[in-house]
Amino acid sequence: MELIDKLSILADAAKYDASCASSGAPQRSSRGKTGVGASNGTGICHSFTPDGRCVSLLKVLMTNFCLFDCQYCVNRRSSNIPRARFTPEEIVRLTLSFYRRNTISGLFLSSGIIRSSDYTMEQMIEVARQLREVHEFRGYIHLKAIPEADPKLLEQAGRYADRLSANVELPTLTSLKTLAPEKELGTIHTAMGQIREGIDAANDGARADARHPPRSANPKRQAPRYAPGGQSTQMIVGADATDDRTILQSAQQLYRSFRLKRVYYSAFSPIPERPAGLPQAAPPMLREHRLYQADFLIRTYGFQAEEILGKPGNLELDIDPKLAWALNHRDGFPVDLNTAEPGMIGRVPGIGLRSVQRLVELRRHRKIRFQDLVALRCRLETLKPFVVTQDYRPADAARDSQRLRQTMTEPQPAQLALI
Amino acid sequence: MIDSPGTSTLIVAYASDFDGWREQARQLLKAGIPPARVTWRDGSDRNDDLFSMGAESLPIAPNAPTPTIARAHLQALSRAARYRTQPHEIGRWPLLYQTLWRLSRGDETALNAADETGAEVQRRQHAVKREAHHLHAFLRFHPDADARGECFVAWFEPAHEVLDLGAEHFADRLGSARFRIATPQGGVEWNGEHFTYHATCPREWRARAQSAASADEDRALWRTYFVSTFNPARLNHKVMTQHMPQRFWRHLSEGDLIPALEAKARHGGQRLAQEASVGERKGKALPPARPERDADA
Ligand code: SF4
Repeated sequence: MELIDKLSILADAAKYDASCASSGAPQRSSRGKTGVGASNGTGICHSFTPDGRCVSLLKVLMTNFCLFDCQYCVNRRSSNIPRARFTPEEIVRLTLSFYRRNTISGLFLSSGIIRSSDYTMEQMIEVARQLREVHEFRGYIHLKAIPEADPKLLEQAGRYADRLSANVELPTLTSLKTLAPEKELGTIHTAMGQIREGIDAANDGARADARHPPRSANPKRQAPRYAPGGQSTQMIVGADATDDRTILQSAQQLYRSFRLKRVYYSAFSPIPERPAGLPQAAPPMLREHRLYQADFLIRTYGFQAEEILGKPGNLELDIDPKLAWALNHRDGFPVDLNTAEPGMIGRVPGIGLRSVQRLVELRRHRKIRFQDLVALRCRLETLKPFVVTQDYRPADAARDSQRLRQTMTEPQPAQLALI
Repeated sequence: MIDSPGTSTLIVAYASDFDGWREQARQLLKAGIPPARVTWRDGSDRNDDLFSMGAESLPIAPNAPTPTIARAHLQALSRAARYRTQPHEIGRWPLLYQTLWRLSRGDETALNAADETGAEVQRRQHAVKREAHHLHAFLRFHPDADARGECFVAWFEPAHEVLDLGAEHFADRLGSARFRIATPQGGVEWNGEHFTYHATCPREWRARAQSAASADEDRALWRTYFVSTFNPARLNHKVMTQHMPQRFWRHLSEGDLIPALEAKARHGGQRLAQEASVGERKGKALPPARPERDADA
């Protein structure tokens, strides 16, 4: 099979993984050196496909042959789809070609499981090894960790990769049992735990190096790097009946236990050869979007999953989770921007973290006025009922949350002009 | 001593780049001239400027102390100076001088986004940063060969003055490989060790970049990848164009695929995530686990 045909099949097979980040890698540059590639911590989207998704990495499977039969997966063994397999050299060639043309910032390599988990992991490591050692490639590498593989192999993978990820795919044990009978949550968690230990140990080593720099500049004498861009995982949304609260609680647990950099949510897209019991509906993209918003509140605003969703169920689709939370906690509002703790200002819907910073900085010099919120381009219509400034108090502070919710979700009637 | 400029006469100052502006602005600050009394002009040759007749020349106050502002603030100003203004916008030099004037008098809010001029400086900085990011993201190199061997060539149309920011970035990425970036204004060449800048890009560079793009042998590979990685079931035109403005499309080898992919997805291709051409290939279901044997043998 020609390389271009393999690429067509194996990129198509890899598109179900939502992660395409190239951020979080350490500073690397090829200036004045042989080899190619750089990374500087911030990701670059080199293109966008018409689904609005960022193209940052060459995202392919090494092969879509697979021994497993995970029901939600297009590549499961019982699926009647075209199959292909790259050689390590072919993946290396594609990565370098695309990288030099500036269409990607690195490689995200995953694979179906062939022969054995160890064999599959070894083949993926071989690709990373060739890139790093033979071609001195300093761009981004994200490898999928095969949880069942020998811990020694995960160790090796982390030496070459900027990021490792093991996908939990399904948020609960029960759904994993029914939909991915050959996968085990225990094994996935063990692998994540091991990756976390590797990252922690490398970080300790790096800190020790920073305190007592080794005398030689030889990188071999320095603490070895291990997946410096951290680890991530993915959960599929909408393939089973799990609710958002359970999904967010699992995510929160994963952030805490394994210090994941990111949990990705992937709205289940209808696949060819769909097994019975899986939805044929369009992917629930709005639900996925709300989950990302809620996840962001957990990661950066200090919300707990249980605060965002007090009882079992899903996030509201018509308003974002921060606004929903504020409407359910009217007793904490309005917030006086001139006196409130920064953390509380961050909880005002319509005010983002950057604006919080700027308001706190500004109020050291003078009182905050409503006009400042205009200048900072905060979402005025949203925040109005929730803030107090030197010259402004919400008129509808007394209005009940139900009515307020209605005005915020329904389209506003057109303004009437006076004649 | 101050060369006693009147208190109401206009002063005309000239700047063609940030360093030139900084030099002039320093003199004006030392002489205590407020922004309202300065008219800024682009360029450096005051002799050609008819409008400067009757205005006073730059006052000199050699003994006044040199004013200082925070390094971070100076950086903010130099970033904003890279912004190319539209006719209805306030020019870059007067805006910067207004801000500098306030900063030098200890008014820290002059750069705060909640301040009117502060917001404008921030907006320009942001636009410049975004355009530098566009350059890093959407510029495409294609291999070309000349007497000295392989060279990666590119054509790009930046909306603001960010060419040098891009060149630095690509020198980190490409290391010892040679490259050349051509734009409608300037051009830059990297020989693996040094940059050579041209204020006006050599004319043949553009043509070479274009012919290298169409002759690129790996063009089909990238286009194939783009088609396959797209998920038609998730079609989202708005988000895509927000992130990748249409002005960039025509210089991307995948650019012309976008409308076609969208149309196909709207007309039925949207039912599945799989790319149609992959679905048309012969499929292969595999027997249940045969451990320790090559599944694709
Ligand atoms: S292991 Fe499961 S999810 Fe992974 S490729 Fe095989 S069938 Fe798909």
